[in-house]
Amino acid sequence: MSVHGWFMALARSPLGHAMQTSRWGFAVVEMVHLLGLALLGGSVLIVDLRLLGVILKGESAVSINRDVSRLLLGSLTVMVLSGITLLSEEAGKCYYSPAFRCKMALLAAAVVFYFTLHRQALLRVQSGKLTLWPRVAAVVSLLLWLGVGIAGRAIGLL
Amino acid sequence: MPFLQHFCDVLYQSNFGTMLRESNNAFSVIESVHVLSITLLVGTIAVLDLRMLGLILRSVSVSRLARSVLPLSWSGFAVSVASGFLLFWAEAAKMYINPSFRAKLVLLVLAGFNALVFHTTIYRRAQEWGTLQVCPMRARVNAIASLTLWSGVIIAGRAIAYF
Repeated sequence: MSVHGWFMALARSPLGHAMQTSRWGFAVVEMVHLLGLALLGGSVLIVDLRLLGVILKGESAVSINRDVSRLLLGSLTVMVLSGITLLSEEAGKCYYSPAFRCKMALLAAAVVFYFTLHRQALLRVQSGKLTLWPRVAAVVSLLLWLGVGIAGRAIGLL
Repeated sequence: MPFLQHFCDVLYQSNFGTMLRESNNAFSVIESVHVLSITLLVGTIAVLDLRMLGLILRSVSVSRLARSVLPLSWSGFAVSVASGFLLFWAEAAKMYINPSFRAKLVLLVLAGFNALVFHTTIYRRAQEWGTLQVCPMRARVNAIASLTLWSGVIIAGRAIAYF
């Protein structure tokens, strides 16, 4: 099935039907999405500012990440699930929205970056080698996640 | 007409308020800044609250974490108040009668009061208990109140658009 087919299937699913006919469904799920955003934003900031060497320099970056990544991945899960629910209400519109496409591309980039190069940068900091790379990785990560947020905000406007 | 309502009407009808309200992009851009700065504010406060509840970063002392995250929270607060005031300026007459806006302000005052209690009493002694993995009851109650009130601020804030 094509991507468009998946979007249409989501819109016609029981979830989509429930969202489209409910009076407060969209508003409530949007609130959950925003609460998830606050937690995700907070955890991304803590990990990346540690990687940049701005905060908590005395603590190990790897152990901070190990701890905070649970919060990061937990809130990301909440955001993805609530995001799919929001999408089911207007999947047809989102499919053609440039802001939505941009957000998905940035989200994919942010997640792939987090699990690959970002992780590697954390290990590099751990080994004590003071290189430029961990700082670059932190800035790239912050910019990618910020981009996801801005593109997401733009979906309702463009 | 009550003084506050009059004040809201004056803001609403001012040139600047009208310009913001009728602009194509300014209002949306300020709104986006508002959302992102609230993320900064509430996200960093939540990290400190979750630490006090012993859920994350147990190896970091509370005072050390607070010194790291509170400047970020204050920056987020400053930007969200400034952007929030601009949004209010554009819609002041509608905000005066909006029940969600009123609820948001009440929750903000309560969250501020909760933070004040934390800083003037519980946090003063953080040197004594801050390294404990599980913090004293008073700190945990304050953390739960903070998480609840700030979530309430976000929920009420989002609901403003629906009334």
